[in-house]
Amino acid sequence: MADTLMPGSQAAINADEMEGLSDKPKSFGRLAFDRFVRHRLALVGVFGLILIAAAFIVGPWISGYPFDETNVRDRMLGPSASHWFGTDEIGRDLFTRTARGGRYSLVIGLVAATLATVFGTLMGAIAGYYGKAVDAVIAQFINLILVVPFLLTLALFSLRFGSTWWRLALVLAALLWTRIARIVRGIVLSLKEQEFVMAARAAGASHMRIVLRHILPNVIGAVVVEVTLLVGTVIVLESTLSFLGLGVKAPDTSLGLLVSDAKSKIDDDPIRVLTPGIMIVFIVLCVNFVGDGLRDALDPKSKLEKN
Amino acid sequence: MTAPLLKVDHLTVGFPSKAGVVGAVTDVSFEIHPGEVLAVVGESGSGKSVTALAVMRLHSKSTHISGSVMFNDTDLLALPEDQMRAIRGRDIAMIFQDPMTALNPVFTVGMQIVEAILLHHHDMTKQKAWERAVELLDMVGVPEPRRRAAQYPHEFSGGMRQRAMIAMAISNDPKLLIADEPTTALDVTVQAQVMEVLHEVKRATGSAIMLITHDLGLVAGSADRVQVMYASRLFETGSIDEIFYESRNPYTRALLDSIPDLEGTKDELHPIPGNPPSLLRPPAGCPFRPRCSMAIELCREQTPALIQIANSHASRCHRADELAVLAAGAPA
Repeated sequence: MADTLMPGSQAAINADEMEGLSDKPKSFGRLAFDRFVRHRLALVGVFGLILIAAAFIVGPWISGYPFDETNVRDRMLGPSASHWFGTDEIGRDLFTRTARGGRYSLVIGLVAATLATVFGTLMGAIAGYYGKAVDAVIAQFINLILVVPFLLTLALFSLRFGSTWWRLALVLAALLWTRIARIVRGIVLSLKEQEFVMAARAAGASHMRIVLRHILPNVIGAVVVEVTLLVGTVIVLESTLSFLGLGVKAPDTSLGLLVSDAKSKIDDDPIRVLTPGIMIVFIVLCVNFVGDGLRDALDPKSKLEKN
Repeated sequence: MTAPLLKVDHLTVGFPSKAGVVGAVTDVSFEIHPGEVLAVVGESGSGKSVTALAVMRLHSKSTHISGSVMFNDTDLLALPEDQMRAIRGRDIAMIFQDPMTALNPVFTVGMQIVEAILLHHHDMTKQKAWERAVELLDMVGVPEPRRRAAQYPHEFSGGMRQRAMIAMAISNDPKLLIADEPTTALDVTVQAQVMEVLHEVKRATGSAIMLITHDLGLVAGSADRVQVMYASRLFETGSIDEIFYESRNPYTRALLDSIPDLEGTKDELHPIPGNPPSLLRPPAGCPFRPRCSMAIELCREQTPALIQIANSHASRCHRADELAVLAAGAPA
């Protein structure tokens, strides 16, 4: 213990070794990124999503058909060089329509999941951290939303206000944030009893600072996984709604609507159901892979070496 | 003697519960002078930690606190929350019992010290604070502080984490350091090292230390004064010698007797029989009476007052005077 108060005694010994190393510590974000790119499935997910997003955005230009152009001579064609995914009953190019529908699905999924996460995390953190009356009010509010009949609300809403994509995203977010809120609340309830919260208070940090700087970073890992699951859920839900005719309306389209359009011809022309269906599965799978990778990357206890 | 740094007067802390108010601290008064090490000793639930938390005002709003806590002539209990926040960590800092959970797992150890520094030095740059953090880690004996600062708490051993906690606590040169059982969660060998660090810190910074512990062995080697608490009350207070060799309190003596003897001259352990009384409905009379070998009828009827024995020595016992005779053959 003699070296305790002799600054640099240990450091001096190691000075030579330290020379080569940068003394700038790698930031948490940088470390998380390093871990993420080492996660093979996550990379597959990211590339899959980039690929599909690119296809959806660029595709309609390449195909050369507007999504709503009808052509009575080219009805009900199978996949070919000129119509990659074939055509529907009124001769619209299905590749262009799948791309357009997929774009809606992706955008609605991302926007609704992001909104639900931000709001849910905030509500959950506040409920968990402040507890007591605040917690009770938020918990009752969550219960209220959970007992609201889901499809009925969506149906009424889309009938009354129409169903542009952002309205749909908003309603889905408003109904889906509760799950995130409950998860975050649970984690925060246990986190706030940890001594580091008391230690932060003893160091002079305010409640707001403790929630934002100390508690939320500990929640991110769990939330990120939930977000990705939520993106998947939203995409599936949106497809379901469109399938039922409560989502995106014709002549515009979405993946769910495409499946719905093709359902009556499922025996003659199964490919028409399968292509948008496979798209839905592929997107949701990719998103979940990414979520898995993010969870591992954001866990500071992850075993991957950082040098 | 110089003016006290901390002067606690008639501090009483109660926790409301469904069954009534639990009196965790009852009418406790004490002082800590600049540069002094005061040890607060007692069993679990005797009110040691609650006293410390009350000084830092870290209790929840529903807690009943009365009395006064004067720190450099400011009554901390009357201070608005934002001013209290400025004092926490800057003038009074705290070290916690369990270094495993007292560090935030998602930030590097260095970042947490930087955070503690920047809370009270708004104009300091992050780089400068980082340099200071490395310096502090070096000071508390963390080897290769520059490399270690960039590591996460789970990459630290228990002893190293407690050193990091100490580094964080002293980062703003506090005048008073409250150490709440700083070594309880550590191995015996590491305990000694951590206490050594605390001493070095005290020597280097001149801060006063309030050392909360149930380990009398730890107290003997490190404190200037000792304060024994039992069932929410102060039972005896005095210098190290007064407590260890001239104790005038049966509880203190029983506590000293219960220390296991490493040399093996004692064959058995001597625990104090029974359990501390309920703080919800404390029995009438002396709270230690049911477990006390010297209890008399008076103890059943009347709670003893804290009796001044010498300048710095006081004891809460009806028979404190009689114990003076016995003091000659003091327990080990």
